[in-house]
Amino acid sequence: MSPLRVACFSPSHILYFVKFHIPDWPKFIPTVLCVGIFSCGDNAEIQSYTAPNHYEGPVVAWQLPEQWGENPGMGGIMAGSFHVKTKEGPQGRIGVMPFRESVETTSIVNMFARELGHADYNDTTLSGLLKSKTFSGRTFELARLEDKTGEEDPPRTALLAIHRQNEQTWLFPFIANRELVNQQLDNFYAFLGSTTLRAGKTPVRAIAPSLPPAQAPTASHQPTWEAPAHWERKASTQMRIGNYAVTNDAGQTLDFSITSFPGQVGGILANVNRWLGQVGIEQTDEEGLKQYLSDRTVDEKPAKLVLAESEDQALYAAILFHKDRSWFLKLMGDRALAQAEKENFLGLVDSFCLGDH
Amino acid sequence: MPPKNKGLSSLSERRKRFGWLIPFADLRLTLTLLSLSMVLIFVATLEQVRVGIRGAQAEFFESMYGIWYYPTQFWGGEYFDSIPIPIPGGYLLGGLLILNLLAAFITRFQWTGKKMGIQFIHLGIIMLLVGQLATQAMQEESRMQIDKGESKNYLERFHGVELAFIDVTNPDTEQVVALPQDLLEEGGIHYAKDLPFKVKVLDFGPNCEFNSLPPAQKISGPAKGVNRGVIQTANLEIRPKPEDFSSEGMNFGYVVFELFDGSESLGTWAAISHPAGNHWWAQINPKMGDLAFQPIRTNGRLWGATLRPQREYLPYSIELLGIANEFYQGTDIPFNFESEIVLRMEENQTRRALVYMNTPLRHAGKTFYQYQMNKAADYTVFQVVRNPSWLVPYIACILVSIGLLWQFSFHLLRFLTKSSKAGLASS
Repeated sequence: MSPLRVACFSPSHILYFVKFHIPDWPKFIPTVLCVGIFSCGDNAEIQSYTAPNHYEGPVVAWQLPEQWGENPGMGGIMAGSFHVKTKEGPQGRIGVMPFRESVETTSIVNMFARELGHADYNDTTLSGLLKSKTFSGRTFELARLEDKTGEEDPPRTALLAIHRQNEQTWLFPFIANRELVNQQLDNFYAFLGSTTLRAGKTPVRAIAPSLPPAQAPTASHQPTWEAPAHWERKASTQMRIGNYAVTNDAGQTLDFSITSFPGQVGGILANVNRWLGQVGIEQTDEEGLKQYLSDRTVDEKPAKLVLAESEDQALYAAILFHKDRSWFLKLMGDRALAQAEKENFLGLVDSFCLGDH
Repeated sequence: MPPKNKGLSSLSERRKRFGWLIPFADLRLTLTLLSLSMVLIFVATLEQVRVGIRGAQAEFFESMYGIWYYPTQFWGGEYFDSIPIPIPGGYLLGGLLILNLLAAFITRFQWTGKKMGIQFIHLGIIMLLVGQLATQAMQEESRMQIDKGESKNYLERFHGVELAFIDVTNPDTEQVVALPQDLLEEGGIHYAKDLPFKVKVLDFGPNCEFNSLPPAQKISGPAKGVNRGVIQTANLEIRPKPEDFSSEGMNFGYVVFELFDGSESLGTWAAISHPAGNHWWAQINPKMGDLAFQPIRTNGRLWGATLRPQREYLPYSIELLGIANEFYQGTDIPFNFESEIVLRMEENQTRRALVYMNTPLRHAGKTFYQYQMNKAADYTVFQVVRNPSWLVPYIACILVSIGLLWQFSFHLLRFLTKSSKAGLASS
């Protein structure tokens, strides 16, 4: 029946229809009104659908072995960090580390080798160390290194799996004591085989949590510096070549570190913005960055000096890019103490020498 | 033909049967309601300055009543400005007006050919009121932003967010599971068959302030218990704020949620929605870029969580070929914005169209109006309106017009007949 035909009906026709076709018809009108007024909204429900995939970032996913747990606090889209669940608690560390560009295997292996007391490998010596294995149709280069410093028993072991795909390098380090590595070998291989690795349209970012361990000083390339006598030297770590704490009688503290990484690890802006956030200063852009930056010469090489202060915190840093590596000398902490130590910091920066010449 | 029912066509019989409706048919009630409607419009217009158009609409028109405080600037304001004055809302007045008209229809109007015009007029007005109610309930306003040379196949609501979980493991298609704002406001635990985890909504707010604190500093507020994702790595503190209803209002909705695999907690995340789109996070602060896609990996799949404007996917897409804008000479006042588009429908059907001011694109129940444009950045924004009851006001106006025509014609004919008879008698 067309709407026009309905419109031609008189009210008596409609009432007749209502009376004889709808039981209990006097209640019909208010019911219709109530239903009309209160049932027009959509009921909230979970929507589930598929759509064309517009995600441009890289895809990294994995199936975690039951005996493994994920480490909290690993932010960033490209990194994963896990441990092995043991009766003694979480042990070992397994990571997923993407690199922005194709990185040479020798560079990766040497980063760990130095930490474990090995001499640097070259292409010839490395060939004896590397094994190639295929998991789920993907080829991984595997390198196994054991601690030669003799500090731990059973020795600390690094089992490195490197996969290359579309100009990108993916590193999966498994670092634990030798027995745990041996025990978890099958799980590690199953984990490698379960990974989904797909490069995105946007470049992979080598974000801070996924950075490889720092380059440890070696006999042949020993960076040196002169630190003020009252700065308390602390033990070096995987990340920190130089590690100091500065305190005063008022309880104010400063943290000073010297770190080094392959590549430019995101460049000056990304690093400075990360530090600014740590001292409570708004992030900035290329233009705004200029207010914090100045030129300085470090070890006869052009470097950048970063000076930024918030109400109560301060950040002083020197950034040096040299021979495909980045060097960061960073002082951070209470502003008043930082201002008092500024000259000492600049003195240390001026004394810094890479030791490669 | 139905049998004649003299009982109901008789006014006295209807008044007897629907006696309880007689008080609602009172003309004084009509006048009172119309007067109160004028008061409502006056008050809502004043309040618009304070809470914006959307706020005034929600508080006074889309409610049973609103509370108004006498303005300090008015006479005696210093004495009366603290007294809350209840104002009947749009739903209350509209509902009573509909009842009043229906009651009049049944208990006051004669259902005869003579009065058919009156019946049509009132039927038209009832339709207008009901149509407006339906429009408020069913109309959806969204936006579609398209970069030049690109295609879009989804709309984003102007208001309202959704917590979306997106599985991007498959290179061709993504699986999306979205919890709309209503569910986020309800809180509780939510399940979906396509989702490999349960979602427990711990906190939700339509607007917030946020600040990245130094790593050592402990955060407080809704994000206090967050131990996964960007909020945790950026050490972001979230401070809830009331929703800003003003037209320039920027609302950063937030949600705090915990995921469970069975009974095992996978962690607690928080997400913030950027009112201009989550792609802005990366430009504002690289550290917060992942708010557009916080990775959650489970069972070999990569899911991303994001709080974003509620989306509606369309079975067709629109490609932006080009944009043009013109201004009145010597001014910055726009004279014309236009977007040249290609509508790509199912079965490879295409349709080229030019969308410009007052000339929208209509397709599949939706109307695409030219809304904003950025020539420098080469993108256009359409305001997309879906209003299933858009035809009702037209039908209502036709009914009222027929009624008026009928009534006046009837009186005119009667007058002409009378005057003709009087002329004959006098001659």
